[in-house]
Amino acid sequence: MTGTIQRQLEIDGISKRYGQTVAVQDLTFDVRAGELFGFVGRNGAGKTTTMRITLGVLAPDAGVVRWLGVPLTFEARRRIGYMPEERGLYPKMHVAEQLAYLGELHGMTGAEARGAALHWLDRFGLADRRDADLQALSLGNQQRVQLAAALVFGPEVLVLDEPFAGLDPVAVDVMAGVLRERADAGVPVIFSSHELELVERLCDRVGIVERGRMVACGTVGELRAGGQERRWLDVPSAPDDWGARVPGVRLVRADGSRRLFELDPGVDDQSLLRAALATGPVRSFERVEPTLGELFRTVIGEAAA
Amino acid sequence: MKARSSGPAEARRLPTTVLVARREIRMRLRSRVFVGGTIVMTVLVVVGIVAASLVAGTTAPVRVGFSGGSQALERSFTATAAALGAKVTLSDIADVTAGKAQVTAGTLDVLVTGSETAPTAVAKAAIPSNVVSALSLAAEATRLAASGLSPAAVASAMALVPVQLLQPPNPKDTQNLFASLALGILLWIALGQYGNMAAQSVVEEKATRIMEILLATIRPSRLLAGKVIGVGLVGLLQLTIVGAAALVAVRVTNVAAIPALGVASILADVLWFLLGFLFYATAYAAVASLVSRQEELQGAVAPISVFQIAGYLLMYAALPNPSGPLATVVSLLPPFAPIVMAVRMASSDVPLWQVGLAVALIVASIVGLTWLAGRMYSNAALHLGARVRFMDAFRG
Repeated sequence: MTGTIQRQLEIDGISKRYGQTVAVQDLTFDVRAGELFGFVGRNGAGKTTTMRITLGVLAPDAGVVRWLGVPLTFEARRRIGYMPEERGLYPKMHVAEQLAYLGELHGMTGAEARGAALHWLDRFGLADRRDADLQALSLGNQQRVQLAAALVFGPEVLVLDEPFAGLDPVAVDVMAGVLRERADAGVPVIFSSHELELVERLCDRVGIVERGRMVACGTVGELRAGGQERRWLDVPSAPDDWGARVPGVRLVRADGSRRLFELDPGVDDQSLLRAALATGPVRSFERVEPTLGELFRTVIGEAAA
Repeated sequence: MKARSSGPAEARRLPTTVLVARREIRMRLRSRVFVGGTIVMTVLVVVGIVAASLVAGTTAPVRVGFSGGSQALERSFTATAAALGAKVTLSDIADVTAGKAQVTAGTLDVLVTGSETAPTAVAKAAIPSNVVSALSLAAEATRLAASGLSPAAVASAMALVPVQLLQPPNPKDTQNLFASLALGILLWIALGQYGNMAAQSVVEEKATRIMEILLATIRPSRLLAGKVIGVGLVGLLQLTIVGAAALVAVRVTNVAAIPALGVASILADVLWFLLGFLFYATAYAAVASLVSRQEELQGAVAPISVFQIAGYLLMYAALPNPSGPLATVVSLLPPFAPIVMAVRMASSDVPLWQVGLAVALIVASIVGLTWLAGRMYSNAALHLGARVRFMDAFRG
């Protein structure tokens, strides 16, 4: 790839400690142009620290963040749209004026910034509140303004810390649509969230961070490939304590006549089916893909062990 | 690297410091606190000056009325009164009874009755001694002339003792004492008020958490500078409004002569306000970045307030002898120079090298403080909750 400019945000080996506490340890991943990257992990896992380091509001102890193949400079960071975990705008400033001010701070002319502010307010259905003080808006609407603040200057990269927290389902759809649209326009988008279903539905790739380390990173499909295979069986005639007794197969849980089994890698699921048929009729035999939530718990469990 | 194009669009792309200052100014001018505060301050200052003029009414000329034969004294009385420094206005009173009634009513201060050689002064409760002396001298001269002395002999006999002063007071000293003191107090209040305003503005951005977005966009020193400049210009505007109202009130009531109000001295006062403001506001803003809530601010800025109060007290110590060693040394030190040097310059002639040295020292201090404040600002700005310790903010 030498010689070509890579439109990707590279977080390369960053570490950060607060006294004795390790917030981030040798964390590496990248977000490519046109990609929605979901950043998940438990509270305190290091997501916010990583984002703050990316934006330069926090200095890492080690590591580097690159954009277009070169370490981020202050000027380059000004072209990143940022939504911090700690929401913050001026409560007593008019909404449109506030967005235009932030646009100008990011290098737009006054006219460009005003135009962009009105565009995004319109986009989020807040056109009629443009001259209201921010504090007069509902919390959900304030959150939309906060996202508009990250978008107003046409950023080259988007870094959003929990953009969906506290939004109603309609607002979630609007915001998801906007993020998809920005990604499709070639902007790398990274956002953190605890809404794992949403992340699974929306993101091209997912990174799971635990105790400051990246423990899994890839498409949801790739994460699944590394996980266990599972099968649901409906075996109405099997005794209550039936557990298949097939090597490499474990009963995960029973739900009435239904049983969920987990298969070790390389185990033939037909041997499980044959064992089930030996108990009587089999009403259903279903391959289940683990959800991101299940994958997340598995990965976190392994990391903790 | 982004290519920089030139043209009208580029011209409207303002530096971040200017944008921050402009927002600060707009928001403040729009606020009720500013509008109400300016009105209240203006009213208070004007009322104060009018009240002072009523209390200090004695500077008005003494109204002296002459009746009957004493009217022949008027010319020589005018001359002796002027020689003794008594301000008088003269009038003729036709009727002694009516004149006494005027004295009782307070429309006349002194009624002179009797003949030109033996006049009597009638007053209500008191009479300025120099008016009595002037009248006595005028009557004495008349008596000498009546006894046959030539006018030249009378003049020589009545000549006042020549006075030789070994250390004559600078006329500026006394004339400007009032104005200098008023200026010093005004500067002191202004520095405290606008310094606190800058501090509050910093805490506001920390408390509302917008700081994180701003610091991802602007360098801390630029943000700090824009804020300090914006608040400073708002302060200067408010001071100009209040100051102009005060000048008009002083002129109208004639409560004090204002020889200090030449263009040069006004410019000097503005300069000292701006330098003092930059010094204190930067210090206030840096300290304010250590706290997260407005309630914690007063405790945090206390160490700076100590310097300000010391400056205020030193102003009183320096004023009686503005060229003395204490005044000279103190007026060169950056924390005190904005008040003490401004007062010295208003009340006496300060050697130019001293003014230059004081300006150089405070400008160097402001540069140093800005560096220190920018460092504290970026280290402390994102620490929310507990107050940040000074050394932690400094080390980062």
